[in-house]
Amino acid sequence: MSFSAKAVRLAKLAAAAGLAAGSLMLAAPAASASGGVGWLRLAHLSPNTPAVDVYLYSFGNPSAQIVLHHVSYGTVSGFEQVPAGEYTVAMRAAGAAASSKPVLSTSIDVIAGHAYTVAGMGPYSGLRLQVIPDRLTTPKGKALVRVIQASLQEQKVTVTAAGKTIADKLPFSDVTAFQAVSPGTWAVHAAGATESTTADITLAVGTIHTIVVLDDPSRLALDDLTDAAGSKVLPAGAAQTGFGGTAPRPGGPLLPWVAIGSAGLLLIAGGATRLRRARVLAIRAR
Amino acid sequence: MAPPSRVIAAVLLLCGLLALSVAACGFAIARGDARPATPLGKPSFAPVPPGKRAPVPSATAIQAAPMPVSLVIPAIGISTSLIQLGLTASGQLQVPASTAVAGWYTGSPRPGATGAAVIAGHIDSYQGPGVFFRLRLMRPGQRVYVRRADGSVAVFQVTAVHTYLKSQFPTDGVYGATPNSQLRLITCGGTFDPATGHYLSNVIVYATLVG
Repeated sequence: MSFSAKAVRLAKLAAAAGLAAGSLMLAAPAASASGGVGWLRLAHLSPNTPAVDVYLYSFGNPSAQIVLHHVSYGTVSGFEQVPAGEYTVAMRAAGAAASSKPVLSTSIDVIAGHAYTVAGMGPYSGLRLQVIPDRLTTPKGKALVRVIQASLQEQKVTVTAAGKTIADKLPFSDVTAFQAVSPGTWAVHAAGATESTTADITLAVGTIHTIVVLDDPSRLALDDLTDAAGSKVLPAGAAQTGFGGTAPRPGGPLLPWVAIGSAGLLLIAGGATRLRRARVLAIRAR
Repeated sequence: MAPPSRVIAAVLLLCGLLALSVAACGFAIARGDARPATPLGKPSFAPVPPGKRAPVPSATAIQAAPMPVSLVIPAIGISTSLIQLGLTASGQLQVPASTAVAGWYTGSPRPGATGAAVIAGHIDSYQGPGVFFRLRLMRPGQRVYVRRADGSVAVFQVTAVHTYLKSQFPTDGVYGATPNSQLRLITCGGTFDPATGHYLSNVIVYATLVG
């Protein structure tokens, strides 16, 4: 084999290896920087819809990235960290083949640093997949809370917490905006036309909650979801975690010593000149 | 008696010699103070801790993760107990009094609960390496193990390692809310400023709980 043919082969091999490394990185969400990921969770909040299998596909990839089997009413998954980009969420009847046509599907564009809840909502007859954007920042010293009304039994539900009405006659399959509340453990009260329920829910500072109103199965129930949590108090500025014992040290400044040394040389030169002149004068004087 | 010019010449010569020797001594001492950066060296052996692995918290789980007690990072040879850190009077993150241990910020979520748990440790003392001396060597994909009071272990995978100037510290990215269970490891890095006695940058490792 000639040298140039060898070189071409090597280059091809290197290119193939580079491609393989590139695709590996694409396949591993954990390998990407924290700035390049978002979060998704999947929920079944349709009271009279039987259990489903939920599939998450990365756009253009026919094999599912995540499959949740036999997800029944009231189930909410944990957040999955995924690379930012386009995804498709599909629902099939529980146990249906992965290759079968989904009952429902929706696409979602995951923006880096954002979180989304994709929920099956509404009555079975009008089931839809809704993308509900989540939030990841709380106002200073507050907790955030919102309500999803997933009770078919009570068409309208009012929810109070922390001395506030956080959902006012909220219709079935609707969701409120987030509201800031004072942190604490609150008796959260939900009331429909006939049924009502109360649950103690802790809304810690810096946390974000979604309260889901559910049919259980003939009474109202409350489910408290922690959407996100952070530090209770954000420390000011950076952390002083070092004393310099391993840092390179440039040593003391050298310039002053060089200056003193030069001055000394000048003095010696001056002294020597004077001495010679004095000697010359003394010789002449003899 | 010698003419006065000869005396002056002798004085000048003496002063010159004195200045020269002082300068030589000063120069030598200043040069001797200089020191290269301490080499990173070989990490010590830190085996993966045994124990039940902490589950990834579900959205509905009650957030009752046990207290963190120790931290193990086999990739860079770290095995340390964890102390508890609060805030200083001026609202900054408290740092461990000892440079040999790391600490968990009690205002952050516990490791393994929803949110970003924050652990800080020193890069060095006045004399030599501290507990997080090799933290800057961490790479995405490496694992971090946090042992907890009930003997369980929360396992995190590194997603990113960044160095920030302290004047541009990413407060929200480090302490802000996250929807899943994460971990932040903080130490110092970058250039050391002898005038203030502080490093100019922070090295931050971002990691996510893996089941």
